[in-house]
Amino acid sequence: MRRHLLIFLTLVIMIPSFSALLIGGIGLVQHERTMERVARSYVQDMAESVASRIEMGWNRTRTSPLSDRERFLRLRQITWGLSIPGWMAVVDVHGNILLSSSGAEVLPLIWDRGIPVGSAMEVDAKDGDRYTLAAYPAGETGWYVVIAVSWDKLLGPMLRFSRWPVMVGLIGLLGLVSVFALWKWLVAPLRILGNEVSSLQWGRDMPVADHPGAVFEIRRLRQVLHQLASSAVDRAELVKRYVGDLVRVQEEERSRIAREIHDGPLQDVTALIHQIRLALMESLPDGRDREHLDNAEEGARHAVREMRSLCDELSPPWLDLGLGQALEELGERLSRYLQVEIVVEVDCCEDLPPEVTLAFFRVVQEAVHNSARHGKASRVAVSLGKAEDGVILDIEDNGTGFDANVNYEELRVRGHRGLANMAERMTLIGGTLLVEKGREGGTRVRCMLPVTSVSV
Amino acid sequence: MTIRVILADDHPLTRKGLKDYIEKESDLDLVGEASDGTGAWELIGKELPDVALLDIRMPGENGVSLARRIRDSGLKVIPVMLTSFDSQQYVIASLRAGARGYILKTVTPDELSRAIRIVAKGGLYLDGEVARSMEESDSAFESLSAREREVLLYAARGLSSKEIARDLIISERTVQTHLGSIYDKLGARNKTEAMLLALKYGVVALEELIE
Repeated sequence: MRRHLLIFLTLVIMIPSFSALLIGGIGLVQHERTMERVARSYVQDMAESVASRIEMGWNRTRTSPLSDRERFLRLRQITWGLSIPGWMAVVDVHGNILLSSSGAEVLPLIWDRGIPVGSAMEVDAKDGDRYTLAAYPAGETGWYVVIAVSWDKLLGPMLRFSRWPVMVGLIGLLGLVSVFALWKWLVAPLRILGNEVSSLQWGRDMPVADHPGAVFEIRRLRQVLHQLASSAVDRAELVKRYVGDLVRVQEEERSRIAREIHDGPLQDVTALIHQIRLALMESLPDGRDREHLDNAEEGARHAVREMRSLCDELSPPWLDLGLGQALEELGERLSRYLQVEIVVEVDCCEDLPPEVTLAFFRVVQEAVHNSARHGKASRVAVSLGKAEDGVILDIEDNGTGFDANVNYEELRVRGHRGLANMAERMTLIGGTLLVEKGREGGTRVRCMLPVTSVSV
Repeated sequence: MTIRVILADDHPLTRKGLKDYIEKESDLDLVGEASDGTGAWELIGKELPDVALLDIRMPGENGVSLARRIRDSGLKVIPVMLTSFDSQQYVIASLRAGARGYILKTVTPDELSRAIRIVAKGGLYLDGEVARSMEESDSAFESLSAREREVLLYAARGLSSKEIARDLIISERTVQTHLGSIYDKLGARNKTEAMLLALKYGVVALEELIE
């Protein structure tokens, strides 16, 4: 099972608090039971002792009947100094209160319950308090002594177990509120951040800089990530510019060398051929002399062909003619060289900028080579056309196809730079390169250049 | 009647060799030389030669652009490209710009004089090394169907298969099939060669090519 943060946090909050509640609850129950026992024996003893005091005090003066007032004073005298966390009352057999301490006003309210004589019991009064009370007959006077202990007074601030469910509910509610808060400010922001980062294209995308609702640590984490992503983007931009410079410098250098060869040695050797021919024409040599001159001419012509193809390889001069014609020429040459049928269809874009023309040209060069070499294709279709939002160049073959899950970096590491080069060329001019399965089972290399990168 | 020729090339030694070639022929008269595009244009204006041999790559103005300028100015000068670029696309570009000939600089003396004579008479000369299939026989053209001729004409004008399909109201695939059969019949390896052949045998007039 996956250990979700929210479940974990909920357990971490709930287990200790409910354990504390449970232990507290058990303690309270024990305490209440003890207090109940104590209170019972207390009221019993007290009632018994007061009853016996009344009995004894009364027996001495039993001779003449007493007025109510005298009886009250008498009783008062007997019970003087009695202090209990509750109240006491002396009642006659009918329940009339003869004497009472304050708090005993509740007695009539509970009197009808039928209080057993001599043993204690708990009574819930209507005022919400609870009493442990005991009644004891005071000898032959026919009166009863009622002693009651108020739970509110006795237990005071101590919690009563009857209020426990409210407490548990309250704590549970607080727990839920805490869990919600944790979800809102911690778990949800973390999840959002996690999702965002997991789908983030490092070096290209930027995460959102701040999450105002989240806890500080997550906001900080987000800021740090944002900074990291930003520096990754900067670095990618730097690498891109660097690679761009490399490619540009390389192309410039190739073009310069091609021009040098073309304007220098190529012209010199061409002139040399003319001079040899003129020598042949004017001095009409024969035998070995003629053979030497013929060989020299043949050698020079060979050198010219070599230099021309070297120039074409380095930087074809016909690139100046525009992409359409350059691709036609390239197709015709590659078709002869690689022995594959190459169909070039150009429907637009004669006026692309030179760097775009060059990039497309190099991609086609590489892709057609790949089709012939790796795809064993016999036919390659190159098409350049306008799409709704830019220019699309497709190079599609009928070869053996291509593993669509290929990793450019892995290929590059293994020394196959072709695909990575093509992708780089496109990236440098602001386009994208996609290698996918062709319609007829072969491979299709699709280059897309958005209209924003070039005015078509 | 002599043919008046000028030669524009920035390389002195090449110029020297070609000059010697031309001067060997009694019917060819080299009336001037230029070492760059600007000089060439001035020379053309001054001498009004019959044929102007122009290097494609020169300082100043390049040969293709000069040919276009000659055509646009209405001068009765026939531009011929004299170059080291063995590219069929350069042939096409030159012809579109109004050139009547395309000669590689390694040309032999005989070929050079033959080429100058052909273009001076209003013909078209393309170097055998660039336009290989130019030696095919006329009979190949006879075997083309009317539809194939039509497709070839459109292709020669530089239309893409898609455009041909649209104009002739046929499918692109049919256009491809026609082109394939045209290549087979003419022995051409590609559209450019088929196009050059069409030009040579008059299926397409040179004027139709011009931009």
